[in-house]
Amino acid sequence: MIQPLHQTLYELLKQATGFIYPNEIEVHWGILVVVYPYLTGLVAGAFILASLVKVFNVKEVQSVYRLSLLTALAFLIIAPLPLLLHLGHPERSFEIFLNPNFTSAMAMFGFVYAWYLMVVLLLEIWFTYRKDIILWSKNERFMMRWIHKIISLFSTDVSEKSVIFDKKMVKVITIIGIPSAFLLHGYVGFIFGSIKANPWWSSVLMPIVFLFSAIVSGIALVILIYMIVTPSRRQEIDMACLDKMASFLFYAVIIDFSLELLDFIHRLYESEESIKILSDLVMNKLFISLGIIQVLLGMLLPLGVMVAIKFFRFDAELRKLLYFVSAILIQLGIFATRWNVVVGGQMFSKSFRGLTAYKMELTGFEGIFMALLLLVLPFIVLAILVKILPPWEPAPVSDLEAVSD
Amino acid sequence: MKKFLTKLPEQAGRLLIVFIVFIALVLLVRFLLPASLKDHNIHIQNTVATEMSRQVRYAGSEVCASCHDEYNLKKNGYHKNLSCETCHGTLKEHSENPTEIKPLVPRQRDFCTRCHAFDPSRPTGFPQINPSAHNPMKACVSCHNPHDPKPPNVPQECQACHAEIARTKAISSHVMLECTICHEVPTQHKVAPRNVKASIPAEREFCGKCHSTQSIIKETSKVDLATHGEKYLCWQCHYPHMPEVE
Repeated sequence: MIQPLHQTLYELLKQATGFIYPNEIEVHWGILVVVYPYLTGLVAGAFILASLVKVFNVKEVQSVYRLSLLTALAFLIIAPLPLLLHLGHPERSFEIFLNPNFTSAMAMFGFVYAWYLMVVLLLEIWFTYRKDIILWSKNERFMMRWIHKIISLFSTDVSEKSVIFDKKMVKVITIIGIPSAFLLHGYVGFIFGSIKANPWWSSVLMPIVFLFSAIVSGIALVILIYMIVTPSRRQEIDMACLDKMASFLFYAVIIDFSLELLDFIHRLYESEESIKILSDLVMNKLFISLGIIQVLLGMLLPLGVMVAIKFFRFDAELRKLLYFVSAILIQLGIFATRWNVVVGGQMFSKSFRGLTAYKMELTGFEGIFMALLLLVLPFIVLAILVKILPPWEPAPVSDLEAVSD
Repeated sequence: MKKFLTKLPEQAGRLLIVFIVFIALVLLVRFLLPASLKDHNIHIQNTVATEMSRQVRYAGSEVCASCHDEYNLKKNGYHKNLSCETCHGTLKEHSENPTEIKPLVPRQRDFCTRCHAFDPSRPTGFPQINPSAHNPMKACVSCHNPHDPKPPNVPQECQACHAEIARTKAISSHVMLECTICHEVPTQHKVAPRNVKASIPAEREFCGKCHSTQSIIKETSKVDLATHGEKYLCWQCHYPHMPEVE
């Protein structure tokens, strides 16, 4: 239940250890601010996986190209919601576009987000699907027909020349899209990394660590969705595609792990005045979420499993099971990463002499139910998107011939 | 230009139209924005006017003073820095219509304990009580006049105000020492604690009476004052109410 604030603070005060300043009892950035970087990370990761197909011509992953684009879009649409709910007054959010403040990183990110949504994702999806949408709309019932007609902007041209133009545009957009995706999630790390008063956050490595953990979580998410959706459509899982995705995931996890290790060793070697309280934080308050969930379950265990898969020749069924479990563990680990950054950074006093506690609410805007809802919402959006823009059936060739005749 | 348009693929043209419409809409909205929203220094320029148009709720202590004698009592007491409206609520309406609208008079115990219940983050010496041990169920106003909240009797024990220090000392090795062994307490300190303060030992030799190697008192830890701690006073490193803590 929601308690009056002073009661909550009084309960928390008893859990604080050492010396803390009065305004440090309450952890202001709660679970919603944890969900936000987690969701944007998934967007950037899913998009990077899609880009591999177009830019680096990875043929095996072709069959999840459209699925990962739609996944990125579904999560991007929901990604700002946790922030808007956390801040309150979502109707005022448009003011940052109407009256831009060019010296505020947070305000400028509004434009990065808008750019990424409109110029990168929507355009790429539009050019990818345009021909198919036109062909689908030809033999569909009233509702879907008009939805597809409106989405295609009433375009009718499916000539070879226009299709080639589409393909060219997709390639150009993907090339613009990769740095944009880096910017999208790099920003989230940038915001934390540039808070110089907080030694847990203030690190130049932060944007890069965020970026690679984003790629890890995005690829793992697409693997999960692909492995759940394909059998439910009574189709065979394409093992070549799955193996390829898993191997990308493997390399991404290795890079992510080395970066985080580098950050850790760097902090230890630097041993600034904050090192005592930070080690206290890691050994007490964050021991389970960082030591056990993030590093052991979310990184070392999946890494070990994937090394085993690379060395031993497991049969397809066992590989599927292992990939599935690893992908779930990685999701858990990356969520814990976001938790440790966001909540962990607020658990120690700026006096470096005390620790506070975080008490999560159940209901209410900042509660755990809201966070769960926000984590489920992207999947509902994805289901609707998949209904409108099926990612697995390019229009039959016979239709194409019929039109060009 | 015409050649470019005819060469442009059909779908690109349609897309272009959408983008042009979108940009035009953004520009239109920007044009229609009220000037007050465009100011960069004050985000919303007419904030002051908006705030000023709100209903005034507070009257201010001077208005209270014109009718109520309690104001003069309060202004010399411990509550002199509290506004009347801190306890009695907003009084603008009461000041305009004193017979019809009556102010709040909080008499419940939990109102006083918002400030006076024990809380370690409050400054030492601030009068704090344990509400369940301090005359439970009895209304605060039956002993303390809130307009001049002197304790009904001058406290005999230091811990009436310095509860946390008393509790800390009670489990330290200094438990047997009376407060007055280290602190000289003028009688006025009990009446005006902020104006007349108790003394703090100002010399190393004071602690040395028990803790220097020359001391004749047994069973205390001993240091050589000539070499230990140099120019610092003892209590700058050792907390005297809990000397075990470094």
